[in-house]
Amino acid sequence: MTPSVRVGLITYFLFRVGGGDWCPFSGCTRNMASVAALVKVSGRLVAEAPRAGLRRLLSAAAAGGHGQPGGARTWKILSFVVALPGVAVCMLNCYLKAQHEHERPEFIPYAHLRIRTKPFPWGDGNHTLFHNPHTNPLPTGYEDEK
Amino acid sequence: MTHQAHSYHMVDPSPWPLTGAMAALLMTSGLAVWFHYNSTTLMTLGLATMLLTTYQWWRDIVREGSFQGHHTKLVQKGLRYGMMLFITSEVFFFIGFFWAFYHSSLAPAPELGGQWPPSGVSPLNPFEVPLLNTAVLLASGVTITWAHHAMMEGNWKETTQGLTLTVLLGAYFTLLQAMEYFEAPFTIADATYGATFFVATGFHGLHVIIGSSFLLICLTRQINYHFTTDHHFGFEAAAWYWHFVDVVWLFLYISIYWWGS
Repeated sequence: MTPSVRVGLITYFLFRVGGGDWCPFSGCTRNMASVAALVKVSGRLVAEAPRAGLRRLLSAAAAGGHGQPGGARTWKILSFVVALPGVAVCMLNCYLKAQHEHERPEFIPYAHLRIRTKPFPWGDGNHTLFHNPHTNPLPTGYEDEK
Repeated sequence: MTHQAHSYHMVDPSPWPLTGAMAALLMTSGLAVWFHYNSTTLMTLGLATMLLTTYQWWRDIVREGSFQGHHTKLVQKGLRYGMMLFITSEVFFFIGFFWAFYHSSLAPAPELGGQWPPSGVSPLNPFEVPLLNTAVLLASGVTITWAHHAMMEGNWKETTQGLTLTVLLGAYFTLLQAMEYFEAPFTIADATYGATFFVATGFHGLHVIIGSSFLLICLTRQINYHFTTDHHFGFEAAAWYWHFVDVVWLFLYISIYWWGS
């Protein structure tokens, strides 16, 4: 990245970070119009150079279109260094959380729950498809023990 | 010998559209018969006909494209349009279920205790298995992208590896979600909470199974050298579908699992 590119990018980002106002210091009286002009001019001067840097960045990230060499390698690295370890971390988290069993809530015969307007077309018509006797009470209460 | 003066594919007469329509009729009427007359015969017949139709129709498309060379650039363009339009229609399908969820949850009815989740409903912890499910699907999006790039670079072995990992992750998601369904303290019959949860996540799960099957077929074709570095639309279509499934899950996770708890 050439120095002019760096200046242009830093100028632009400082402008953004400062809330669109060049100077983040409260005592600063530089006005927006002159600053905007400064950014525009420096932006135009460095307009050509960033594209080469950006292109390199995009190539490396393989975010571009078809057939850029080295793209597969990037995604392979992402798969084995970020994606799969991320899954492993979440698996560990689930395993640890499952260690302490939480007791099931007491049964309160709410009218809006365990609705049975018509029987289910399987079994005795009173059990949902993924019924779990330990966690799913019937309209009359838990099946295994009250 | 006659030649066509265009690059479109004039498909040979095929029975599969008819058998597909018959399968749709048998499945829908079979569902009604099951609900009202306690017989699963018609529905089973419909399911079997559907499976036979899909298998043979898509087998014929693979033959026409990979073996007979009928899939010119123009034909492929049409297939791309088709897949895009289909996925768009599926997006609207899911929008309906999200609409139902937000309708019920943004202004909870007094019958539910005026709150969401409703009184007596203990929602799943979004940072346990649902978070793992999110990681699994996101990871599968990365692995399928690896497979795609490897395919474009002509790396047969890595393409197979990436695609295999993707299929395995998809299967893992399905397994986890099935376990969640059995362990959940609430059921589909538990007010609008249960209804919106299981219908939305249920249809999503069905789409995961369909997407995983599509990917498995792509894996089989990949192993059998059907794809080239620049002609592999079947794989691209599967990848688009898979990314769509992933995005739907992200919306489900944020809306129903996280915000809705």
